This record gives sequence, C-alpha cells and structure tokens, in this order.
Amino acid sequence: MSCSPFELRDFYFKELAENERRLTEVHVKTCAHCREELERLRVTEAVLLTVPDEEIPQRIGFVSDPVFRASPFRRGWEALWGSAARLGFASAGMLSVALMVFALSRPVSQISTPAPAVDRAALEADFSKRLNEGIAKAVAASEARQLSVTKELLAAAEHRDELERAAIMVRVAEYLDVEKKRMNIRILASNGDVNGESR
Amino acid sequence: MIFRAVEDADLIRKACRGDVEAYNLLISRWERRVYNYLLRIVANREDALDLSQDVFLKAYQNLRKLDEPARFAPWLYRIAHNEAYSLFRKRRPEGDAEELQPETLAGEASPGGNAVFPIEMTLAVSSALHKLSADQRETVILKIYQGFKFEEIAEIVDCPVSTVKSRLYTALDLLKAELAPVKARGAS
Repeated sequence: MSCSPFELRDFYFKELAENERRLTEVHVKTCAHCREELERLRVTEAVLLTVPDEEIPQRIGFVSDPVFRASPFRRGWEALWGSAARLGFASAGMLSVALMVFALSRPVSQISTPAPAVDRAALEADFSKRLNEGIAKAVAASEARQLSVTKELLAAAEHRDELERAAIMVRVAEYLDVEKKRMNIRILASNGDVNGESR
Repeated sequence: MIFRAVEDADLIRKACRGDVEAYNLLISRWERRVYNYLLRIVANREDALDLSQDVFLKAYQNLRKLDEPARFAPWLYRIAHNEAYSLFRKRRPEGDAEELQPETLAGEASPGGNAVFPIEMTLAVSSALHKLSADQRETVILKIYQGFKFEEIAEIVDCPVSTVKSRLYTALDLLKAELAPVKARGAS
C-alpha cells in the first residue's frame, strides 16, 4: 500500500499534473518505501525493454497510378468537402458576396422613424382650418375673376351703346337735314306759284 | 530562406491532396513502430507485416476524415488495433475478447529474438507478456514500448482512462512477480 499523496505509478509514468508531481516528488525524497516501489517499477520496465523493436522485413510504400487518380475537379471538390476550415471559409466567402450583392442592388431606404403620438382633435381642427382657408381663397379668387369679367362685359356693353347712340344721332341728323331740305324745297315751290299767279 | 522540419501534419495535408510521395514519407516514419506494435500483439511476423500494410492502406483511404493532424498517432494505432482484433476474430470467430490470444508464443516470433541481449531474458519477457490477458498485454505494449499517454491509449483501445490504468497496473504487478526470478539472476 503506497503512502504517497498521489498514485506513485502515475508519478513514475509522468501522468500527474504539475502541482501533484511536485508534492509527490517531495514525498518520495523522504519516503524510503516509495523510493523502493519506484525502483521496482524502473527495473520491471528496464527488463521489459530488453526486448527491443525489430526492423520491418519489407518497406511499405504506395505507387501513384494516374488510372486510379481522381480528376482534378473531383480532387478539388473532395479537398473542399474534406476540410471543415476550407468549407467554412468558402461558406463565409459566399455569404459575404451575397451580402454585398444584396447591399448594392437594394434601393436606399428611408430611415423610418416611429410615428409620433397624434392629437386627433387638433389635427381635425387644423385640417378644417386649412380647408376653410382654401375654400375662402378659392371663392375670393373666383369672385375676383367674376368681377373682372363683369366689368369687362359692362364696359363692352357701354361702348356698344355709345356707338349705337352715336349712329342713331347721325341718322336723326341726316333725317332732320333731309326734312329741312324738303321743307325748303316746298317753301321755294310755294313761293314760285304765288309769283306766277300775280303776273 | 527559412528551413524547418517537415512535420507529420504537413505530410498529412499533402497526402490529403493526393500526394502519394508525401504519404510514403509519412509511412517511412511510422511503419517500424506500427509493425512492432502489431508484432507484439499477434506474435507473427507475416501477420504483422500484412496487417501493417492494411493499416497504412486504410489510413490513406480515410486520411481526409482525420480532423486533427496532431492526433495522427492515436488515430493510426486505433486502425492498427482494429485490424489486429479483426484478425483474431477471423481466426477464432466464437471466442470473446478475453480469449483473444496470439496464435504463437515467444519461441515463434518474439521481437528482438536476434538481439544481443541474453536469450534467456528475452524468452522470459515474452513468456511473461503472453501470460497476460490480451487487453493487459496491449496496454503494456502501448505504454512501455510505444510511450503513449493514458488518454491516447484510451482512445486507441476505446475504453476509459481508469480502465487503462487498471489494466496497466495489474499487468505490471503480474510482470513484476513473473520476472522477479529473472531479475534476481540478472542481478547476481
């Protein structure tokens, strides 16, 4: 039965952790029994090692035959799938390319901000006010347009009346002139008749 | 220009891309260790060599499934472990895991049989190792001869670390008792 703090045979085969090894080493220096046990292990191992390794009677080697070699594409494919690291890098590369293509082809989106809380009554009042103002402006513009048109029509009508009045006046003057001439002719004719009778 | 050692991870990456020469270089670094691991388990040189070839072929076919190149060694030994136990099952289809034993003992093929070490010691060690259960023997091989950490051994044999420790320490106690006479004679 060993009195070592840790398994003495683990210590002999260097299978203890560093701190365990140091403690056991300290113990072995002061314990004759454990030293003897270690010596027995060393001798047993030495006896076992008196039977050395043999040389291999025939060297082992393989020959590369192109007939049995896979195509370069297949070897590349197998190498890709045969290595987790390479496969990981390939996946990461493809993902990066996909992300870049997506980022470049995607339209720039507006940054959406959360809608602020809306006061519905104030909004409706504001809307009504703007609507009324708009209606008032439209009505005023319409009235102004109507007034302008009315003025133009009135002016045109007055101008036309003046022209008609002037034409009537001209015709009346002409009529009066003709009548005056007729009167004169009649007066002259009546005067001639009187003179003839008197002779 | 900067020079640095070509690490297993570099070779694994190249091999994954179909570079057979890189894989051959990787094999040259590991074939002796894998062969001796299998030889100590199956105790037969032919079987060990055949299994080693199968192990490296399977490893090549499944190299792309290896997530961490730093864990190549335990992963490779896991394949070797499975191949060895598959062979045991083929040889003894009805046996359970505890009965799985190599078909020959030390006399047939014990690693280091031609070494300069005393033959008596080699035979005694081989004999003592083969008195252990298959699990215990494999744990001793992976720890003493292959130098794996408990965590790696647990990964190779697919069991908890506590079980690995238990198997190893029980095996070492048995080996200590079994090899005591040999040690005493060697010391005298």
